[in-house]
Amino acid sequence: MNGFWWKIGGALIFLYVLIGGLVIPIKPGITSVTPSNAKSGEDITFNVVGYNTHFQAATKVRAWLKLDSIHAISATEIRKITENEAKFTFSIPANFPVKEAVQPLSLIVDNDVDGVFVQPNAIFATVADSSAISGEAWKSSGIGQFSVVEGIKFPYRNILNETIRNTFFHIALWFAMFILLIVGVYHAVRFLNTGDMIHDIKSASFNKIGIMYGVFGLITGSVWAKFTWDTFWTSDVKLNMTAIAMLIYLAYLVLRGSSSDHDRRAKLSASYSIFAFVALIPLVFIIPRMTDSLHPGNGGNPALGGEDLDNTLRLFFYPSIIALALLGTWMSQLLIRYEKLKEKVLLKNQ
Amino acid sequence: MKKFLSLTFISLCAVLPLMAQGDSLDFLRSTGKIYSVVIVIAVIFIGITILLYRLDRKLTKLENQIKNEQ
Repeated sequence: MNGFWWKIGGALIFLYVLIGGLVIPIKPGITSVTPSNAKSGEDITFNVVGYNTHFQAATKVRAWLKLDSIHAISATEIRKITENEAKFTFSIPANFPVKEAVQPLSLIVDNDVDGVFVQPNAIFATVADSSAISGEAWKSSGIGQFSVVEGIKFPYRNILNETIRNTFFHIALWFAMFILLIVGVYHAVRFLNTGDMIHDIKSASFNKIGIMYGVFGLITGSVWAKFTWDTFWTSDVKLNMTAIAMLIYLAYLVLRGSSSDHDRRAKLSASYSIFAFVALIPLVFIIPRMTDSLHPGNGGNPALGGEDLDNTLRLFFYPSIIALALLGTWMSQLLIRYEKLKEKVLLKNQ
Repeated sequence: MKKFLSLTFISLCAVLPLMAQGDSLDFLRSTGKIYSVVIVIAVIFIGITILLYRLDRKLTKLENQIKNEQ
């Protein structure tokens, strides 16, 4: 029963992540706007399909087409069809305040149930006479005073939709893997320093569970990619580099399985696990950041910031890392206890 | 090594048929792709179950070994 509380704690925190991460709704968003283009000077009706929106339940629905920070027009007519579908009519002005033939416009919708939500570059407006610059018609839209809605909701991202919840599992698995591998490499160093076999057993057990988390991470990432990037595997740097790192770690398991001499196996695998961990850091953290990648946080854009990981996601993401690390430690502990027992039986037999 | 290969293989076997092209994919993509989250949690659960199963078997073997010596 020694230190049982953290095992229960890990399980409870994971339960909290499971329930909260699945029950809390996603913010409303716009999935499609048809038609997606318009001409200057025409009255046009857009069919807008939303996700998690409440057009009919809302008493006041407003919509704008926004050109830039000071130029916007408001909808002349709004017709609600269903909760998730509505028709917005705009009269596009003949003149635009910018001198470009094609201008992207963002659609902003606000209602008192859902609050405000945006579809950037929803419509491309073709300007008939781009030399006549006038922003007059764009200035009196009354944009602003958006409805404020209470309660926590996860951010809506196009394409991602509900899969944003995978953040709590796929990404947290990698973070937890790192924690376990760090413990593994710590015990490898301790073994090389002291020569105590207990550190060899601990190092191997933590590494094994860490590698298991890595394999889970690859599989879950592959599933997520199928839903969002429409393929199980892409030539994305991060994917390939992580696969290489995992292969290096799989070789660690081969190495441990290949030698029957205990002392030699312990020394070899301890040194190899230090090498594998050192190789893991550039492969996972440095190389993917130097080129473009589909993953957030690579190719220059910061991850764990802004809309990628907002405060509502943090509420479950960080506890998930802690929970998975605790559960991983629990599993490692079971392996350690098994190995110690096996060692004892072997010694008795000799 | 064998353990992890089989673990990967079995998890993939559980997931792949669900993700085959056609009608089942449309079903999986409904409700804002929530089923990707279901599959991800299922993968983790199946993986941990396999680990427990294998540990159980190894322990049973060890128990038998101890019993035989007595």
